[in-house]
Amino acid sequence: MMGRRTSGAFLTALYCAAALFVCWEKAAGQERFRRSAPYPGPLAELRLPDIQNVTLSNGLKVAVAQKPDSAFVSVQLVVLAGERDCPDNVPGAAAATASLLSRGTPALSSSDIEERIEAIGADFSSRVFLDYTIFIMDVLEDNLDQALEILSLMTLQADFSDRELEGLKRTSYYELLEKGKDPEFVARAHLARLLFQGHPYQKGVYTEEVIRNITRKDIQAFYGRFYRPNNALIILGGNLNLTTASRKISHYFNTWTPRPVERDLLPEQKPNDKDVICVIDLPQARDATIYAGNLIMPLSSPDYFPFLVLNQALGGTTSSRLFMNLRESKGYAYYAFSETEFFKSCGLYWAKARVTPSAVYSAVQEILKDIRDLAVEKISSFEIEQAKSFLIGNFPLKNESLHALCYRLSLIRAFGLGDEHWNEFYDTIMLVNVDRGFETAQKYLLPKPIVVIVGDRNAVADYLKDFDRVDVYDAKGKMRFTMMKGVEK
Amino acid sequence: MLDKTRTLLLLGAWLFLPLASWSLPSPPIKGLTFPVTQYTLRNGLEVIIAEDESLPLVSVVIAYRAGALQERPGQMGLAYLVENLMFQGSENISPMQHINYINRIGGELNAITAFDRTIFYQTVSSNQLALALWLESDRMKSLSLTSASVERVKESLVSELRQRRTSDPYMESLFLFEQLLFPDFAYGHPLIGTEEDIKKISEEDVKSFYATYYVPNNAILCLAGRVDVDKARDLVSRYFETIPRGNDIPAAGQQPKLPPRGGVTEALTDSLAPAPAFHLGYRFSPLQTGDYYGLKILDYLLLRGKSCRLYKRLVKKERIAIYLSGGLDERKDRMALKIFAVNNNEMMAERCQKAVLSEITKLKTAYVPEEELSRAKNMFKADYLHRVSTCLEKALFLCDASISGIGPAGLSAEFDKYMKVTPASLIGVINRHFTPERTVILNVQKK
Repeated sequence: MMGRRTSGAFLTALYCAAALFVCWEKAAGQERFRRSAPYPGPLAELRLPDIQNVTLSNGLKVAVAQKPDSAFVSVQLVVLAGERDCPDNVPGAAAATASLLSRGTPALSSSDIEERIEAIGADFSSRVFLDYTIFIMDVLEDNLDQALEILSLMTLQADFSDRELEGLKRTSYYELLEKGKDPEFVARAHLARLLFQGHPYQKGVYTEEVIRNITRKDIQAFYGRFYRPNNALIILGGNLNLTTASRKISHYFNTWTPRPVERDLLPEQKPNDKDVICVIDLPQARDATIYAGNLIMPLSSPDYFPFLVLNQALGGTTSSRLFMNLRESKGYAYYAFSETEFFKSCGLYWAKARVTPSAVYSAVQEILKDIRDLAVEKISSFEIEQAKSFLIGNFPLKNESLHALCYRLSLIRAFGLGDEHWNEFYDTIMLVNVDRGFETAQKYLLPKPIVVIVGDRNAVADYLKDFDRVDVYDAKGKMRFTMMKGVEK
Repeated sequence: MLDKTRTLLLLGAWLFLPLASWSLPSPPIKGLTFPVTQYTLRNGLEVIIAEDESLPLVSVVIAYRAGALQERPGQMGLAYLVENLMFQGSENISPMQHINYINRIGGELNAITAFDRTIFYQTVSSNQLALALWLESDRMKSLSLTSASVERVKESLVSELRQRRTSDPYMESLFLFEQLLFPDFAYGHPLIGTEEDIKKISEEDVKSFYATYYVPNNAILCLAGRVDVDKARDLVSRYFETIPRGNDIPAAGQQPKLPPRGGVTEALTDSLAPAPAFHLGYRFSPLQTGDYYGLKILDYLLLRGKSCRLYKRLVKKERIAIYLSGGLDERKDRMALKIFAVNNNEMMAERCQKAVLSEITKLKTAYVPEEELSRAKNMFKADYLHRVSTCLEKALFLCDASISGIGPAGLSAEFDKYMKVTPASLIGVINRHFTPERTVILNVQKK
């Protein structure tokens, strides 16, 4: 009885307390759970489709990512030849070959091809990288056969007519001319030009003048040498299995004849370790665009994943070091980020910022310091975890569409990468810790990055005096002169 | 026994055949059939949850039925201003922190202001659903609106506007063209406002707009992705249920009918225009049942892709246009088809305009070949199905379906209506709507 009374009193007190709490909360105007961000739930499992592979009798490799719920099929043809495979005297041949593939066969004009693609509601695009070229056809599942037929006609019967080549040269010329006005494009190109000096990857950097010299013969030679089934692969994603996919691909591509393909070996390229500051004169540029970068590991390296985390911490988002320092704290920059790009034999990283001309010197010092800091002082586990959280959250988002998913698969197959780049991405990123990050930073971020500043020389000249030496180039990458302590030599 | 079975089979066939002949439903459209849960909270917030197991992602979209249509004269740009202010912090979230929270976890976010709606969206890992709901609910419940934040955002919008006015060729002409095309103030004024109006908008205007339209009973919340429906419902309830219902949304005033005026042809000199150009459009209002579907397909037939009628003739064949764009412009219950062409010189512009009008005339008298119609429908179909191909696309599409009254369940049936457009129905639509009285032309001259 006593016990019950005590218990009743206790409960009454509890109810009163609860009621008081509710009243207080209402008086305060909001419920308690609104005051701070909720904790995330447990990380959900990443389940990308399994990949099935087969090699056809002519050597063409086929990989299928089955997505039964998709109304589309993405067909991605990868040819293992890119900018680096161009003859030394014809950089641009890889891009021209890829562009001309969809510009006519003996029986179909460029316009006919365009019409046939649109008639089935398909999207076609192509892209040339340093190591490979990709042709993508995204199509409604019902129209897959027609799409494959068009793709095979383009791939097997392209006629590279002089008329189309002239048209392409005209448009490419003006496109490159236009790109040459974009400070970021100019800075990125110059960085690659310097870092890849003497390496086949340097062929990926060329100006509009080069386009004029490409001939039909050059294109035919490039095509004849590299566009072979045994040097290509086809990725298909959508509602189809390996049997159906290989039957269809075999039907449309079985007349593609193999031939041994030899690609030049890629020499090892050492990262820069000298003080190099370049200015590219881009008249009329209002601000100064800074790129500071160096060579790093290829995609296949186990260091790739820790480096991704480091890059994220350095300049992946607006809460990363570069942005917080150069924009939020110092107020030098409109933006400040870092990026990476990976190839077969190496990779590139760069920090980039757009700043007012008067802040050029200080901004460069801060960028170099932010990069170096990662290699001399261990990054905090909080920063590491935050960077990992971004990468893990962003991975499915970046690979969500069928197009993007197959695009990733194409990259994986083109570079012969393992499952850590596919279904095991989460686990691999999870393994990165402070020590692994530090070890990677010491390996790749200690060598001095090359600094490229793009701006109007007249606007930035006064602010370059603090640099010991600056090499000044024109917008096409030709060296004009050197400045020592701001004085032209 | 055998006879009995045969009888049953025959009976079955007899029962089945007539049914099949007159009520065979269209086969389900792949991609358009997915589980959807739809309900309304006590405060009036409409909730749609679409499950998609493919990846550990969820898109959270909130659409408020508030846009430029709700602006009064002297307030142009108010809806866009409020959209921007929604990122300036709320009771528990500091300015710009909404963006930082989403960015830090690898998510993506943005917002759109349109004529009849303003949409906020983000896609995050599915384990971060609560975070996205917390962020959205906080700014729905308690947006921080101070004179400082209002002034700051106004300043940035004015600067954006100035920058665009001095760098976007043809922008002035587009604004004028839209005013000619939609003569009612509510439909024809620019979404981004004018410098004069933005400067005049007061803190009170902003607070009143927010308090009137950014309320649960004027919003749709859509979640699409890998979610457990029960848990998602609990979270939605936790963050949104106690947000008080707003006052009844003011009914849109009786919209004045389009003035009975003939075709309009005007000219403008644009100091930024690198080449002469023209805008040509047709106003469609009111529409008869079914006309909408024909107009949509016509948009693809005339203007989409590089093998559409106008591109083929003006750019590829006759080379009288150096740039061509256009399409249907839908503003709630008003609609127009807009065509914009840039030409090498005035003579080309004139020829080009005549060519456009002659193509329209052709469509009035000759059936569109089946092959051409099929191309337009295939392109339309691909675009329609792309709208459900990612979590975000799906969530945006479902909000759109809900606002337009089709509802998530009606997507397949709606799709069929486009596919049923015939050459004969197109001729009817074109003759009804593409008349000289509905034609608006604005010639843009280079200074």
